[in-house]
Amino acid sequence: MKRKQIYIFIFSLFTINFIVGQEIENKKSDSTIVKKKLINIDKLSIGIDLYNPIYSSINDDDLSYELITSLRILEDFSIASEIGSLDRYIEDENINFTSTGEYIKFGFDYNLFNNWVGMDNSIYLGMRFATSSFNNKIDSYTLRNPDSYWSNNVTSDYETINHSDQNANWIELLVGIKVETIKNIYLGINLRLNRLLSNTSPNNFNNLYIPGFNKVTDDNSWGSGFNYTLTYSLPLKFNKKTSIK
Amino acid sequence: MCIRSYKFFLLFFLITSCEKDDICLEGSANTNRITIGFINSENQDTTGISLKNIKGLNKDSIIHTNISAAKLKLPLNISSNTTDYILNFNQIDDTLSIRYRAIHEYLNRGCGFISNFIIDKSSENLNNLEGWIKEVSIAKDSIFNEEKTNLYIHF
Repeated sequence: MKRKQIYIFIFSLFTINFIVGQEIENKKSDSTIVKKKLINIDKLSIGIDLYNPIYSSINDDDLSYELITSLRILEDFSIASEIGSLDRYIEDENINFTSTGEYIKFGFDYNLFNNWVGMDNSIYLGMRFATSSFNNKIDSYTLRNPDSYWSNNVTSDYETINHSDQNANWIELLVGIKVETIKNIYLGINLRLNRLLSNTSPNNFNNLYIPGFNKVTDDNSWGSGFNYTLTYSLPLKFNKKTSIK
Repeated sequence: MCIRSYKFFLLFFLITSCEKDDICLEGSANTNRITIGFINSENQDTTGISLKNIKGLNKDSIIHTNISAAKLKLPLNISSNTTDYILNFNQIDDTLSIRYRAIHEYLNRGCGFISNFIIDKSSENLNNLEGWIKEVSIAKDSIFNEEKTNLYIHF
């Protein structure tokens, strides 16, 4: 108890705002439980996306994966990032192509869910800045031609080109839930709304798909995505937990 | 607080479900056929012609049969640089061989690619000596529309 108040005192030296907030907090709640600190790095989560590896192995593409990490720095606030690699054969209306590339997303999650004591689930909003470096290789296409006397399928030469060294940047807004299913292991889903900021346009083609961003539609810079996540969370402060109990 | 996330869900589905379908609009550019005219070699005038049938070399299906026209529009093979036609005129077969370069141009997701052609001037005629085609001349070597006559057959 005394020790915590010392902590509070130390933190109060850093910010004046915090002193005010802390005092109000103490007056409101039971004074025996003091939770809030300015920065409280107490949990590191690492995980994977479940959808992409399954999708890629079903469709005989190279393994696609996404690694998820997040570090909780405030009670409701975590910095988060995803790093992924993707290989996908896409059969579009006229053009079949393979999109391969790597992407990195960096941002934060903000938890809206008030847990009961001992629970650690979350409904969160988040934002990411993302960048991807990728190739789009055209495998085959059907040429637009009103006359089909000769075949209009092109499977080699002409525009069956690998458009390499493409780049795109975008921001994502996301909403998700995360549920602790086994101790320290969480399952979750999140939905993402993407807004394209920049995208290179290859010669005589468009990037119809961007790894991480997903489908790009003509004349539209919005996209969407989702993740099924499996994360393991590593508590970083063991002492604190036991002292609360 | 949770109400805010519901609103986000709503917005998400609203925007993603209203995603525009990528349809190729009617009137978009298209792959054009080659336009062939005919010149009577006796008086050097462009004339109409009646052909019994027209088909591609080594193909069973016929493109046109019993056609009488001043201009003939024939499809080129988009994934080759030669297209050979067998033209039957007065029961005589002759081969018209067109050499060209196919340039595939990307339009958009809905339409995909179309093809434009540049006719190769160096090799304009390959006909057997017995045939009815005396000469082939190129009037316009690029095929970006079907309005102009690209090639004349002298007979």
